[in-house]
Amino acid sequence: MLALGAGALGGLFLRRPRASAAELRPPGALPPGAFERACIGCFRCAEVCPTRAIRFPAGAGLDAAHPFLELRESACVLCMECTEVCPTGALARIAPRPETVAAEVRIGTPVLDRRACLPWSGRGVCRLCAYVCPIGSPAVELVGPQLAPLFHAEGCVGCGLCEEACPDEARAIRIVPAGGPR
Amino acid sequence: MALRGGRGYQWIRRTVLGLSVLSVVGTPFLAARFSDRTWPAGVFVGATGAARALGVELLDPLMALGVALSGGARPALLAAALPVLLLVVVLGRFFCGWLCPYLPLLAVSNAVRWAFGRLGVPTLDLRLPAWLRFFVLGAVLGGSAALGTQLAALVYPPALIARSAWRLAFGFGVGGGATVVAAVWLFDTTISRAGFCRSLCPGGALFSLVGARSPVRVHRVAAACTDCTVCDVVCNLGQRPMTDRLDDGCERCGRCVAACPTGALSFGGRRP
Repeated sequence: MLALGAGALGGLFLRRPRASAAELRPPGALPPGAFERACIGCFRCAEVCPTRAIRFPAGAGLDAAHPFLELRESACVLCMECTEVCPTGALARIAPRPETVAAEVRIGTPVLDRRACLPWSGRGVCRLCAYVCPIGSPAVELVGPQLAPLFHAEGCVGCGLCEEACPDEARAIRIVPAGGPR
Repeated sequence: MALRGGRGYQWIRRTVLGLSVLSVVGTPFLAARFSDRTWPAGVFVGATGAARALGVELLDPLMALGVALSGGARPALLAAALPVLLLVVVLGRFFCGWLCPYLPLLAVSNAVRWAFGRLGVPTLDLRLPAWLRFFVLGAVLGGSAALGTQLAALVYPPALIARSAWRLAFGFGVGGGATVVAAVWLFDTTISRAGFCRSLCPGGALFSLVGARSPVRVHRVAAACTDCTVCDVVCNLGQRPMTDRLDDGCERCGRCVAACPTGALSFGGRRP
């Protein structure tokens, strides 16, 4: 008991080396900080992810047990399976209904580089992002004579389907953590 | 009730352990193989430490406690940890001998130690104080609260082995967690036999505390005992059944009972 108390006391003096850069977490994730406190790294979210968008860092550092999304390689298809299997509530359960998903999922916000975007830079008609978007006009609209995409962060769930679909020649879209720049 | 001889007991234990290891190492590979959803995630998800089997949630009490102390206490968390906790109250530190996926690695470690002995290669057997594990448990829980991240997920071998198996199954390489497991294994093999389990594991420490008053213990019939020391030698965790010196570090594996040549040891309820 004495050893337990001494260890706890010693542990309480540990300090995070530096504020960790915000990562894209799976849908339903608690806010940064609360998520890391609740997640036990059990990998169940990644195990059920149909697109294998959920990854774990390769190292052994403090973040090694926290899942993140690699949307550019494979996007989230909003099946909400990961929120259903999370044992600790680090991912809050979200029903896989379109209206619930549109209202509650906020993985990140889209950032468009207009110089790289084909319609905005006058190099093509593209529109892929708008076609693959599961949310539609609340998240992305086609504007102007070129029908170039205009993203609305407040309506976007951050699933990354647009980032994944954006042609290799452009790579104009990036989903970034809502909390701040990566 | 007493289980004499204990060979049947060993078969039961090995079967349970085999299923546990299979759930840790096997299901990630099945899930990866059948990622087109023919793998029934509704039947089994996760691994021994955080499993959902046929809709029943099971959670390692160490993980549940870590999350609860970090402000994430919820009834569902307690309910999931309860089955294992109740078993620990009755059976003591049985998790370590019956379910821990590190056990096959420890068996290899012991075999290597034995081979080294046969070849005349000297191996250390440093005896760290057993109470050190309680210090580690405190540090893991306190540190998790201070750092805002679950340290058990980074240092607790069952969690690390499960995550490494998943990484491997899904084609991401074993990752840094495997390095920690390898370090633990090397420590056990070259410096201290089962030294991590005995003196450093936070999970073992928690189960020792919770199961300290367990009624299931190894008993010795002094009249039948020939003081041959076999039981003391086979024990991984430094228990000494031959002189009735067993404490909350006993993992109820029953190796000593099975090894006793005269049947002086038995496994049973409280001393009759």
